[in-house]
Amino acid sequence: MFGKLDWSAVPFSQPIPLITSIIVILVVLGVLGLVTAKGWWPYLWREWITTVDHKRIGIMYCLLGVVMLIRGFADAIMMRTQQAAAIGGPGYLPPEHYNQIFSAHGTIMIFFGAMPLVIGFMNFLVPLQLGVRDVAFPTFNSVSFWLTASGALLVNVSLFIGEFARTGWLPYPPLSEATYSPGVGVDYYLWAVQISGVGTLVTGINFVTTVLKMRCPGMSYMRMPMFTWTAFASSLIIVAVFPILTATLAMLTLDRYVGWHYFTNTAGGNPMMFMNLIWAWGHPEVYILVLPSFGIFSEIFSTFSGKPLFGYRSMVAATLFICIVSMMVWLHHFFTMGAGPAVNTFFGVASSVIAVGTGVKIYNWVFTMYGGRVRFEVPMLWSMGFIFTFIIGGLTGVLLAVPPADFLVHNSMFLVAHFHNVIVGGVVFALFAGLEFWFPKAFGFRLHAGLGKAAFWFAFIGFWVTFAPLYILGLMGMTRRLQHVIVPAWGFWLYVSVAGVAILIVGVILQVAQLVVSIRDREKLRDVTGDLWDGRSLEWATPSPPPFFNFAVLPNVEGEEPYWGIKLRAVETQQLSPEPKYEPIEMPVNSPVGFYTAFFATVFGFAMIWYIWWLAIVALVAAYAGFAWFAWRDVHEFEVPVEEVARVDRARRAAREVFLTQLSRQEVLP
Amino acid sequence: MSDMGLPASVGAIRRVREDPHRLGYRAHGSGEDVEGTGHGTTGPAHKRIIVGYGFWIFLLSDIVMFSCFFAAFAVQRGATAGGPSIGEIVDIRRVGFETAALLLSSYTCMLSFAATNKRNLLWTQIFLFVTGLLGLIFVLLELQEFIELAGKGITPQRSGMLTSFFGLVGLHGLHVTLGGVWLATMMAQVQIKGFRREIVHRLICFNLFWHALDIVWIGIFTIVYLMGSGA
Amino acid sequence: MSDLESDPHGVVLDRREDHAPGDEPLEDSGHWIYNANLGLGFSILLTAAAFFLAGSHIIYGPSIPVALMVLAVAQMGVHLVFFLHITTGPDNTNNVLALAFGVLVVFLIGAGSIWIMDHLNQNMMPMEQMIQMER
Repeated sequence: MFGKLDWSAVPFSQPIPLITSIIVILVVLGVLGLVTAKGWWPYLWREWITTVDHKRIGIMYCLLGVVMLIRGFADAIMMRTQQAAAIGGPGYLPPEHYNQIFSAHGTIMIFFGAMPLVIGFMNFLVPLQLGVRDVAFPTFNSVSFWLTASGALLVNVSLFIGEFARTGWLPYPPLSEATYSPGVGVDYYLWAVQISGVGTLVTGINFVTTVLKMRCPGMSYMRMPMFTWTAFASSLIIVAVFPILTATLAMLTLDRYVGWHYFTNTAGGNPMMFMNLIWAWGHPEVYILVLPSFGIFSEIFSTFSGKPLFGYRSMVAATLFICIVSMMVWLHHFFTMGAGPAVNTFFGVASSVIAVGTGVKIYNWVFTMYGGRVRFEVPMLWSMGFIFTFIIGGLTGVLLAVPPADFLVHNSMFLVAHFHNVIVGGVVFALFAGLEFWFPKAFGFRLHAGLGKAAFWFAFIGFWVTFAPLYILGLMGMTRRLQHVIVPAWGFWLYVSVAGVAILIVGVILQVAQLVVSIRDREKLRDVTGDLWDGRSLEWATPSPPPFFNFAVLPNVEGEEPYWGIKLRAVETQQLSPEPKYEPIEMPVNSPVGFYTAFFATVFGFAMIWYIWWLAIVALVAAYAGFAWFAWRDVHEFEVPVEEVARVDRARRAAREVFLTQLSRQEVLP
Repeated sequence: MSDMGLPASVGAIRRVREDPHRLGYRAHGSGEDVEGTGHGTTGPAHKRIIVGYGFWIFLLSDIVMFSCFFAAFAVQRGATAGGPSIGEIVDIRRVGFETAALLLSSYTCMLSFAATNKRNLLWTQIFLFVTGLLGLIFVLLELQEFIELAGKGITPQRSGMLTSFFGLVGLHGLHVTLGGVWLATMMAQVQIKGFRREIVHRLICFNLFWHALDIVWIGIFTIVYLMGSGA
Repeated sequence: MSDLESDPHGVVLDRREDHAPGDEPLEDSGHWIYNANLGLGFSILLTAAAFFLAGSHIIYGPSIPVALMVLAVAQMGVHLVFFLHITTGPDNTNNVLALAFGVLVVFLIGAGSIWIMDHLNQNMMPMEQMIQMER
């Protein structure tokens, strides 16, 4: 009746998961209770859960990502402290628990922390930067988000019902096969990642189509802002490689559930093929994360230097170069598996060559700053931190790209330090920079600058104090994923690393404090003009927050940096462009299909994990029924009346008139 | 603008000369109401183009997924673990019938879309029905093949080669089956709602899907069956 | 333009509109069916040739797989051109580029995996043997 599920699945005998689960359940129940007591459900359902508005979906993605980053960070704290505590002793986390923690840490950080945040940024910004009203497939966008949330939910459920995988964030066979991982842990991983992977693939399709087929008049490819270009390249990679993830995880699922032999170590299975296929996905995946991050920095460097981005065309070329070459380097993750010198050389050379693309970008950012009037606001601090951190991380990467060197440091702490160096320095710094930069646009008030600067410094210093020792440890011979440490000489650097974690914790607290204080003081920090940072691309032409239809009239773009041109012309002529002719706007209606589909996907995943076959069938049928009901709807769009469009836009123009007089008085613009 | 009847390239040259920045009919700020061409500079493209193109991108991603299963088959084709080899399980006659059925179903799918363009409900439905029937024949033949093999103890659990064989062929068969379910739904929708805009968009998507399945089948019958039979 | 109304004449698009593959709203049905017939005809020829070639000894044995691949690629091309209407016209540029990208990715995964796995299989001991040794 309940498959494999019974009371032994609840971790009554393990204090840490038990206490964590109780706290999490209480917090969740508390939040749900608060929402119910305040009567917020109708509002939440109408405005957020069933929304197809790309801006709201983007905000929800970012919220999901931030919460999961904190969970992943908690795992990281446990790992660092365990290793420091376990020098010559057992530490406080038994091996079977520790293995789940490092697996969950990686899985959550990549799939449910970084990916949702990056996709959240893409969602919020790309239609605004393109000057259009929404993405190509708004309802599918909602489906994507809710499927991602479904995967995140399943991973978190594994904390208090059952267990998680113990195989690391990529479940290598034969360990991940049914013979050696008979529990539900790997199954939780497989279904959570598979379900959210479908969501991500749909997002990729959505954005490729949006960028290629939906741009405002006059916006040719070479007039698109850099963030949109990188979002496009990232979406191309998503479309190209997420099917590989789907296929490979499906093969492992078939091996586990019905005894097939894709990756088993008997009867003709080939475990090495898993590594090959999964890294054919895995390497492009990190470029999916880092390309939009580069795009965020491009926007920030040009805005806060007061200059157009240096070498726009070479940036575009470098982005597309990285996009293509990223799919030609994956073997560098398993140089040591034995493919031999010819194969290793090809992929080693390709891995070194791909650094050229990033080098071009870094030079362009630095040249953007040169000769500009640089303003060191919080986003710019994160960007400077990124330049320093990412260059070093990239250099260690080129070192790892040399097969003989990699043979010495593969799967050591040197590797761990490298990839955290580039992911934290590249992606996480970008996300914080972007959050500081675009938060005012999304919510209408800016974040408290002082706390933001403090948070940056603690994060930057904390990062280096945590991870620099890991480079040294790797060179001293320490391998990764150790539950206990038998070489006393490694102890000193592990303690330094834990000190770094403490600094990072302060940084995280300051970041949360910044959010809380800013919300409390939001009237003082209000952004009335919509163009807080003297921006250059079209999202800064809208009010903060933008109306749900984005633009009353689609802008007509006449050059690169479309909004900058509009702004300069307005300042020169001392007047806004004439009021446009308003027309009614058709917008897509909200739809519960995303939430509904994801709900049954979660039920399906849970049922499959615990072998509750009848429930799995029920969930599938219900999901199909819901989809068919949705496909039968007659009304997809509603019309915004002219008066409403005019009212909203006239308010925007009034604010801009005030802004214009301020600008000309201050003579801020050159 | 009458570039009807000219080769596409001449038309393109003329367009570039007349409108070098490809701004379409809309000059700067004139605000005329023109649909986007999808080349990007006259505003967002029409929904029909957006839907069709998005589905094309999805199909390419689906083909990437198939290529992983092809790669697995290529790697494991010799991993018979003492069991039967690919040459011993291939039945060329049945594959011939399956290929004929699927190819003809692609053809009838084309005919049904011609009828859709003419807004002829009867012939659209007839050809959709024949397409579905031929697809069903394909699936039944494949099921027959699998059941016969299983009866002889030749199952995917036997060896790596058999796993990748059943996986690849089975994945394709699953796509055809789901396509059949979609086809039935489309026939019902066309019958009840007529040739409404979004129904036509979905028929475009279905057409793309069905042809893509036949393209994948070309790969399968060549690489798995024909090449396998020689092994 | 209300969704609820039937659209008896189809959507009239600008003649310069991009087309999705397999979608030619303004093409006359005679031309459409002509394409379908040509496509079917060529496909039947190529399929028959492939089936015939597979079991025969007309050409040098080891070249048969190559010939079969050529026939398969040709037939895929026939499907793309005649059934899916992929052309080199400017209304199809995006479709061709997307297809080229897809072909590139498929090639990288397919050829890449075969190359890599072939070398790995040659260099590394089969798992069964390794398990035997550990017993």
